[in-house]
Amino acid sequence: MNILGGLICLAALVILLIAAVGIVRLPDALTRQHAATKAATLAVSIFAIGIGASAWNGEWAWKLALMTAILLLTMPLASHALARSGLAEQERREQV
Amino acid sequence: MTLITPMILLAGLAALLGFYRLLMGPTRTDRVVALDLLFSIAVVFSLLAALASGRSVYLDVAIGLVLTGFVATLAWARLIQEKSNPEQNAETS
Repeated sequence: MNILGGLICLAALVILLIAAVGIVRLPDALTRQHAATKAATLAVSIFAIGIGASAWNGEWAWKLALMTAILLLTMPLASHALARSGLAEQERREQV
Repeated sequence: MTLITPMILLAGLAALLGFYRLLMGPTRTDRVVALDLLFSIAVVFSLLAALASGRSVYLDVAIGLVLTGFVATLAWARLIQEKSNPEQNAETS
């Protein structure tokens, strides 16, 4: 592990920790979803870049690129579905 | 190699905060959001295992975790959304 990859990985983990603090501290389900999903997507993507910078060869590179591509394709869909369910639950609680 | 230990500690602290919200969350959406964050932390742990052991098998584990987490989160979110829809709830119950 070289120093550049280590610094990138540490920055990604700090972003992940910020997401976890946001999921504990924020007051509402929708704001918690906002804090968790976007910051976690950014953190895992930057962490994959850091792993690729510290252990560079061809097989690791395309596997990390495939994982990041799947992550960037699927995480917005999951966070959108979570936002819809949070909104439906909030409306349900306001009606009752 | 000495940077692996603080990385594990940081990711473990994030996992503890996520488990707090998973156990204490007042609504069901809070718990599923915490579960989504825990899947991301599991992907990070799997990448850390690949880095620490030098084997590329853990990268396949990370790809599988991303796909499984996506399907699980989508299924739970759709279930909560349909359960909290009032007229459909009145039909079923």
